Amino acid sequence: MNKRILLVDDDIVQLKLFEKLLSTNGYTCKIALSVDEAEQQLINEIPDLIISDYQMPVKNGFDFRKKLLGSDLYKSIPFLFLTSVNDDSFIQQGLDLKAIDYISKGTPSAQVLSKIDNLMQSVREHYERSLSEIKVIAEKLNLRNMPKTAPELKLFEIGYFNRSYQDHPGGDFIDFIKINERYTFVVLGDVMGKKWGAWFFSFSFLSYIRSAIRLCVFEGNFSLPEIMAKLNRVIHSDEILSDIFSTLSILLIDDEDGKIKYTGAGDLPLLKYELNKDTLTSYQSDGILLGFSANNTFNEIELELKAGEELYLISDGMIDFEVNGAIKSDLNLLKSKLHDLKHQGKSTIAIKESLFNKTKSQVDDCSIIILSKKNPHEDQKTTN
Amino acid sequence: MKIRKQQIDEVLAIIIEEKEANLSKSEQFKELTLQEINNGHRKLIISFVNVDYLDSSFLGALVAILKSLLPLDGKLVLFGMNEDILNLFQITRLDKIFVLKMSLEEALKEF
Repeated sequence: MNKRILLVDDDIVQLKLFEKLLSTNGYTCKIALSVDEAEQQLINEIPDLIISDYQMPVKNGFDFRKKLLGSDLYKSIPFLFLTSVNDDSFIQQGLDLKAIDYISKGTPSAQVLSKIDNLMQSVREHYERSLSEIKVIAEKLNLRNMPKTAPELKLFEIGYFNRSYQDHPGGDFIDFIKINERYTFVVLGDVMGKKWGAWFFSFSFLSYIRSAIRLCVFEGNFSLPEIMAKLNRVIHSDEILSDIFSTLSILLIDDEDGKIKYTGAGDLPLLKYELNKDTLTSYQSDGILLGFSANNTFNEIELELKAGEELYLISDGMIDFEVNGAIKSDLNLLKSKLHDLKHQGKSTIAIKESLFNKTKSQVDDCSIIILSKKNPHEDQKTTN
Repeated sequence: MKIRKQQIDEVLAIIIEEKEANLSKSEQFKELTLQEINNGHRKLIISFVNVDYLDSSFLGALVAILKSLLPLDGKLVLFGMNEDILNLFQITRLDKIFVLKMSLEEALKEF
């Protein structure tokens, strides 16, 4: 995508010259004849670079820069001053306001262009370097919001798959908490947002979820609505998470009697492939997003799986599709794809490969957990 | 983030003029709307008439706005969502916490 530059100058001739120079060299420019106009442009779109004149009537470039520095949204946009004043004190004043550099209006076009190209390149390299450093640290600290493997169960098989958006860690998280040989909790959550911001907060949610489950289980409490209600109250009272929200789906698997319990908070419906009816049925929890209100209540749905049947827990990226260049959220489209794959007798791996086909465009983090019942006869054959 | 603001008596209508309401716009939209709340607006309407797709980042921003407004005895009404977006609100139970209306007229009747 072309880099976007906002040009601010009360001299329309100068603006048009700059706009022509930059737009014929691969940049997309927006122009503003005053600071007020520039502020209006910023509401519409955040540019990759701002180039602003010093001297303008009513509000000058320094006023503009000071205001931007006071805004969390705008303070980190790279900023260049444009000047016709060859006065060192003006230049110093601009640089003191954390402007990256200045361009004199008399500078030849080729030099202006090189300066801007170099600046944009350096910003990109700085960003990539920071990203790479964070990735290395995360790896060293063993920070993962996806488990390395799924637990082995007697009656069930668990498959899980995740692909993050644009290869950045994201807000989807999965966990398996095996309490003992009988009970295992399966957790799928999605912190609202993408990339690093959501990824960072996913660890807070994961810690709370693990603690809530463990604490309740220590007290002999396996009630999913009660676990969820306690968890929600704690998250609601955490000030750091006050405007961060997460969906959550939890399954409690009883590996002795084969029963499965499900609860959810703001999550997409649990899907079940029913062998006899050859259909995909949706089971909707009634909880709302974790942390929105202290007194959220949650329900519990009990399910049974027969051999050949499967349960699917999904994050919202799984239902986003790009159709004819337009993005849409369509649960029924995912259900129809899953149904076709099951109807054709596809294995869990084949389903994963089909849904996570790399040629398909992806617009968000995608995660799915597939729980299937083992076929006891196949087990016997294997044993024999 | 392209938005338009319209004051209708005591109600501030914010019209989103983007086809995709996604991560690249969600934080700015949240800040701009919270600024309006800080400026004293308590009765807000947000129009989705021009929006084709809304992602979870933007949903999160809407929930954060609502959560800020409720303790101030404010009210937020959303209107003009297409079928896909409406369906997303329903399957994630967000229709339980937001007031959703089809048209501006219906939205205004909530105040």
